[in-house]
Amino acid sequence: MHPRQRIVRILLSISAVVFISDASYAIPAFSRMYGTSCSTCHVDFPKLNDFGKAFKDAGFKFPKDDEGFIKVPPVMLGAPANKELFPHTIWPGQIPGVPPIGLRYNHFFQVVSQNRNSFNLQSPTDPAGQQFIPRTDFQTGLFSIFTAGNFGSDIAFWVDDDISVSGANSNGGLGDAYLRFVNLSRLLKLPTDSVNLRVGQFELDLPFSQARSWNLSGWDIYSQANIGAAGVQNVNNAFALSNAAQGVEISGGHHYGGYQYSLAIVNQNTGQPVGGGVGVSPQVAFTSDSNFKDLYARFQYRFNLERDPASRREIQAAGATGPRDHTYLSLGTLYFYGRSVQRFAGQDTSGSGLVLTAREPFYRVGADFNFNYHALNLFGQFLYGRDQNLLPIMPSGATLPTGFATGSAAHFSGGFLEADYVVYPWMVAIMRWDRVNSTADMLSGVGADQNAPPANSYFSPFSSVRNRYTPGIQFLIHANIKTSFEYQIRPKQIVYAPGTNIPLTGAFRTNSAVVGLEFVY
Amino acid sequence: MKCSVLAVILAVMVLGLGASAGTISGKVSGVNGESVVYVEAPAGKMFPAPTAHPLIDQKGLMFQPHLTVIQVGTTVDFLNSDTVAHNVFWTSVGGNKKLTHNLGTWPKGEKRSFKFDNPGAVPLLCNVHPEMSGYIVVVPTPYFVTTDKTGEFKIENVPDGSYSVTAWHEGAKNQSKPVSVAGDTKADFTLSK
Repeated sequence: MHPRQRIVRILLSISAVVFISDASYAIPAFSRMYGTSCSTCHVDFPKLNDFGKAFKDAGFKFPKDDEGFIKVPPVMLGAPANKELFPHTIWPGQIPGVPPIGLRYNHFFQVVSQNRNSFNLQSPTDPAGQQFIPRTDFQTGLFSIFTAGNFGSDIAFWVDDDISVSGANSNGGLGDAYLRFVNLSRLLKLPTDSVNLRVGQFELDLPFSQARSWNLSGWDIYSQANIGAAGVQNVNNAFALSNAAQGVEISGGHHYGGYQYSLAIVNQNTGQPVGGGVGVSPQVAFTSDSNFKDLYARFQYRFNLERDPASRREIQAAGATGPRDHTYLSLGTLYFYGRSVQRFAGQDTSGSGLVLTAREPFYRVGADFNFNYHALNLFGQFLYGRDQNLLPIMPSGATLPTGFATGSAAHFSGGFLEADYVVYPWMVAIMRWDRVNSTADMLSGVGADQNAPPANSYFSPFSSVRNRYTPGIQFLIHANIKTSFEYQIRPKQIVYAPGTNIPLTGAFRTNSAVVGLEFVY
Repeated sequence: MKCSVLAVILAVMVLGLGASAGTISGKVSGVNGESVVYVEAPAGKMFPAPTAHPLIDQKGLMFQPHLTVIQVGTTVDFLNSDTVAHNVFWTSVGGNKKLTHNLGTWPKGEKRSFKFDNPGAVPLLCNVHPEMSGYIVVVPTPYFVTTDKTGEFKIENVPDGSYSVTAWHEGAKNQSKPVSVAGDTKADFTLSK
């Protein structure tokens, strides 16, 4: 027997109980509307194929002749002929003929390596059990609702919300919620799709979506905040690129070929309590405590590398045995500029109390690539982050700071490299390498502030560089049901005595095996 | 069309050598929707294929028509009327997986043709849109019919004689039975999955 056949048979035998079932009738919103399978748009949901990218670019509709594909006719909010009466009537629109609602649920099972005992032994009598890492653990994941579609006139919408997180009904939160005005360029006599407008709350136009990642764990660099080492740096910036942002975005181009750009102006979002800070009580106020709006810019260019020029220009390439994703190379860059706000109880030169506000400019700059060749998709991201560091000045005789002086900037860098290989249309093998280099993270983890030591021992990074290797494999039981497996070879960690810098353990890794099961319907 | 009629006439002459023609009628039950009923070729008998090319369109993410019945040797034209890319392939002909074939990709408005030289059911698929489904049933004689939705059928102009008649339905097991045609003849089938 061919080795590959043998592997498949073994996998099928192991998974027989799960895999052998009747045909699935559970299909999400777009599948219902167009009467088509999830795999029309997804390689391995929620990862989009080239057609899915074009569908999204077009405002959640087929790029051409959309009406001809809709199996459930939309409800007209006014006859199209009303356009001729404008401005004496409301511009006619439409809503989907079926409520475009999808639901997503996932569940996890985790096994942690024996090295967890290096940590557990430090708190053997912890009554709350919060310092104990179990060998195995079942974890309820997300139960999310999402709705998306097109209101006609090239106005698309998307709302997703986590109704329940980790089994707790009230822990969920709004994900993306926006309106997108597609192809405004037609009103400006500019090239088709060169200007779109998005308004609302949304994930920034990242090269690889963290919110809709197909991996069980997110890419570390997109979740990286910049929290300075206590006593050394005064940076306390909780912003991460994967955070949802509120604002407006102008974008253009296509994700399936050629140029694509986006420019966003979003609320400052650095995680500081509203109106609060060190020694300053939080106040009821706006959720953003800075008048300055952060800026995000992204540009990418994708080179479709098919030999046939006609095929290069199509949404999907014309393969010898059917359409497929292009062989392509895309190169991109991103830039984020913002100001992190911190507030302190301070005093002026006369000794009167006042609130000192430090607005520390920061930026994130990155480069990315994405290469696809038939079943192999290789992509990566590099990111560098830098925060200006304003240190409180405490003149002699003063009891509170009176101002700020510029200190050494706090910076980090890192990224990831990932290879996805579609072994079969229902089986995807994944290999990832995540790397984050942050001196601040390590120093913060040591617990160097002996004046305010943490209550318990806790994990600390062993070095400034954290590497994580994550092989994985995912199986589509049906187009809408997936089981995923990851083995996370985690960075080295260490446990220090609180506030003393004295290591209680040697360096160790708490590697984890995680299995996830999720479905959408 | 003229050619088809000529082929039938020729077949009648070959089969019956001037014998009178009858009718096979009946009902296919046990399944819902259209079925195909056809007369198997008597041993050693060959029937010339019609020259007309039936058309199967890919439109609205569907094969249209969903079911096409052709005689062995017929060439079918496959058209793509959609603005999205499609392909056409089949995994077997009459259950014979060695006869799998993939026609590849072609753009909107263009056709590709294929001549079916082997009898049996051909399940049509598109590897981009797995929900798309169509069937070609390749039959060995010009005596075939598609039932109505209630399963009723009538095959006319069958030369008197003894034949094997087969009923086919998507997703059901074929059923064949001997039928002696002499004038109007009844043949009912009950198919199961």
